[in-house]
Amino acid sequence: MVTTPLSANSHGDHASHELPFGTLVGVLILLMVLMGLTIGASYITLPSIGPIPGIVINNLVAVGIATVKAALVIWFFMGVKFASALARIWVIAGFLVLFLMFGILGDYGTRKFEQVNGWETNVPHNGGETALPRVWPPEGKPSSTPEVEQGFRPR
Amino acid sequence: MAAIAHDTHEDHGALHHQFENIEQQNDSYIVGMWTFLVTEVMFFGALFLIYTLYRSMYQMDWYLAHEELDVKLGAFNTIVLLISSFTVAVAVRSAQRKERGLVLANIGITIACAFIFLIVKAFEYSAKFEHHLYPGPTFGAVPEHLNGANANYAQLFYGLYFGMTGLHALHIIVGIIVLSALFNLWWRKCDSVMKDYIPTELVGLYWHFVDLVWIFLFPLMYLMPKPH
Amino acid sequence: MISQPAPAASETNYINEFGGLKSWLLTGDHKRIAILYLISVTFFFFLGSVAAAMIRWELTAPAGVVLESDTYNKVFSSHGVIMVFTFLVVAIPSVFGNFFLPIMIGARDMAFPRLNLLSWYLYMAGGILILAGMINGGVDGGWTFYTPYSSMYSNSNVTLVLTGVFIIGFSSITTGINFIVTTHKMRAPGMTWFRLPLFVWAHYATAVVIILGTPVVAITLLLVVFERAFKLPIFNPELGGDPVLFQHLFWFYSHPAVYIMILPAFGIISELIANFARKRVFGYHFIAFSTLAIAGLGFLVWGHHMFISSQSMYQGIVFSLISFLVAVPSAIKVFNWTATLYKANIRLQSPMLYALGFIGLFTVGGLTGLFLGSMGTDVHLTATYFVVAHFHYVMVGGTMTAFLGGLHYWWPKMTGRLYAEGLAKANAIIVFLGFNLTFFPQFIVGWLGMPRRYHYYYLAPEYQVYNIMSTLGSGFLGIGFLLPAFYLSKSLMNGRKASANPWGAHGLEWEIPSPPPSTNFLQIPIVLDEVYDFDPVTEYEQDRAQQAIEHAHEHPGMMDSHDETASKLEEGGH
Repeated sequence: MVTTPLSANSHGDHASHELPFGTLVGVLILLMVLMGLTIGASYITLPSIGPIPGIVINNLVAVGIATVKAALVIWFFMGVKFASALARIWVIAGFLVLFLMFGILGDYGTRKFEQVNGWETNVPHNGGETALPRVWPPEGKPSSTPEVEQGFRPR
Repeated sequence: MAAIAHDTHEDHGALHHQFENIEQQNDSYIVGMWTFLVTEVMFFGALFLIYTLYRSMYQMDWYLAHEELDVKLGAFNTIVLLISSFTVAVAVRSAQRKERGLVLANIGITIACAFIFLIVKAFEYSAKFEHHLYPGPTFGAVPEHLNGANANYAQLFYGLYFGMTGLHALHIIVGIIVLSALFNLWWRKCDSVMKDYIPTELVGLYWHFVDLVWIFLFPLMYLMPKPH
Repeated sequence: MISQPAPAASETNYINEFGGLKSWLLTGDHKRIAILYLISVTFFFFLGSVAAAMIRWELTAPAGVVLESDTYNKVFSSHGVIMVFTFLVVAIPSVFGNFFLPIMIGARDMAFPRLNLLSWYLYMAGGILILAGMINGGVDGGWTFYTPYSSMYSNSNVTLVLTGVFIIGFSSITTGINFIVTTHKMRAPGMTWFRLPLFVWAHYATAVVIILGTPVVAITLLLVVFERAFKLPIFNPELGGDPVLFQHLFWFYSHPAVYIMILPAFGIISELIANFARKRVFGYHFIAFSTLAIAGLGFLVWGHHMFISSQSMYQGIVFSLISFLVAVPSAIKVFNWTATLYKANIRLQSPMLYALGFIGLFTVGGLTGLFLGSMGTDVHLTATYFVVAHFHYVMVGGTMTAFLGGLHYWWPKMTGRLYAEGLAKANAIIVFLGFNLTFFPQFIVGWLGMPRRYHYYYLAPEYQVYNIMSTLGSGFLGIGFLLPAFYLSKSLMNGRKASANPWGAHGLEWEIPSPPPSTNFLQIPIVLDEVYDFDPVTEYEQDRAQQAIEHAHEHPGMMDSHDETASKLEEGGH
């Protein structure tokens, strides 16, 4: 940024940038509608799209609606519509790095591909053990799925 | 002078000594507040990450455990917070237009909404405590409330539930304190808020962030779809 | 360049303008806050050094000398916690960043002075809590607090110490907010981004890393506290939680944290090299962009601390690759600094000695990081003394050396006093030699297999000779750290008064009196020169003139040579 440092240009000047009251009410109503939508969608099992199972679609829809709501709040209520470029960069940067942090899940996602030599005979289930840690059901308490009964993390 | 920090009752209005003009000052404060909010995003974001991991590992058990949560109360709380977000946005707008009465009214409603949220939360929490759903040695002592979920994974669910909603509630409490301080400044017609809308805007930004967290928390905690 | 006259005794500056303890404890002046930080950071550094001395003493014998195993665990944990959280992350940004960032950009103060003061109080509160935890018995799981030991089984003061660390995290965040907003919004007219000193670039990048990384460790450590205090299970493997998740979240911050520790040091070294080689830093733009690249890439490599943690091998491959990539910008910097020295007018004064030491030591540290970044060799070397030596080379040989270099360079500006230059030069040599004697044997003994954090090594007595060398070296290193405390304090009492620019350096901070007035500048400067604006021809001529003067005065021996050199520079003004 090779601009003059004193931001004399007033694109950060909020005083002249107010949202009309009607816009605020409109955003509120839209947020309520989206909330109703997300509640409704959670009770329906959405159909699968191609290889993606329906349950994943449900989750994507829920997160998607929440993202839209968040975007409305950020853009209108929080005034990013009128904010300077620097403030907007920060908003984007924050969510970007958050997204990056979800790279941690890559570890767990790829563990099941690692074969651990010598663990094949340890286990009643065919196919050999992977690097995933084994999970046992708690003593005396019912487990949720038959796989757990056999000592496998449910997938 | 730079040596002793004091409040902003300068002769030249709201401009602090280290700034050259009011636009620079306003933008600095907004950028500073957003920088802080980015830290809050990363703070809660890590919790959402943990949630994502464990939910993907224990989908069925978490679905069963989450059925204990009351969707109606959650939805009510969501409505309350959305309204409070709206009123604080109106308050900021009124502050820009120097309409003190409207500012006071809207901040008051926001604080009231915050209290309502906390009261509903307290109801929810007390129900959980009664049903022995708080993680610890007595967890699961009333097995019906586990809805058939594996007790261990359910404990993990409730650990995250209390952790995330608890931290969120803590932020609401801090928000109430800050909003009340702001209300006080407007009530006493202090120059720091009457001549400068930025403090109101900054508090508003914080409150909107609190609402943002709940916008994500509500569907993730209360509205899990049923896995097959 | 304007030569300022030496300040008369009656001239007001930020130190003497307002008197009384209250004016210091309630100050908004970034310079006073920097001094407050300097005092507290030095205090914590010496505490951590005491712990280090105990570790080194203990390791001179294979079966221990004076400490029990439990105590030894607590000693190395406290060394780590104190050094990492209360010194390394804080020292350069909060002392030199706070003092000089506003001045270097031509501002009167930071954007948020009261937030700046709050950051110091948060630092003290966190530091006191950590100390309380140490006094109460300490923590014994290492500064990394791996779960489930720290969350479930450790019966020490984890909650107390982690709460302290959490609070220090917020001190860091408030400092970061200030740096970012100040750099963006408060530069003087004409101070474009590419006229900024590289010190400012470095602190800006550091602030970005602080903002994005610190909250993650804050919540992670908070969750451990919740697990201990409120029984909320997050990392508990008995209930299906994953302890390795803690490691992921912890290192997601703690790797960028090491860049928080080293980027400000890079900034100082750029200043020292430019001003003592009297030449514009070679490849200014490359250094500026590589600083940002390190800040960015640094967020993508945390898994290289976890190669043996049962992390997926495929993830490990990605981390290994990116770790090699992140070495590139650091290498660019080292090459550029070295290129700056080529055909330059080098003045081997004490800050420069530290800077040159930095380049060598950091290079060794960085190169040994590559052994650790490649998964195959890491399996052999991780959790051995090789790792310990690697990070001490970059942290002590890097950050600490840069801290000392900056302290010597800016001491005349901050305090208005000149210190004993000859002693300072000798000290730089002592630090360099002592450091290498301490930590180079640790590479060897780590390669031979000595694990880190082990109290006893009697099964491998061949390690003893290296440990003894290391302890001997640490003695010299300790002298090297103690000496500045003496001669710098002595300079406060009866050092010669410094002019505005005793080193003949370039930069806005050298155009104001030493010590600076409270408002930094009487008038906000308008910046017309490029940064590091040394003219090679002028430098050559002045250097010849300088040598002639020194040669003429060398013989009588009536004055000390270090007073001599300093006074010549003072009179020269350039």
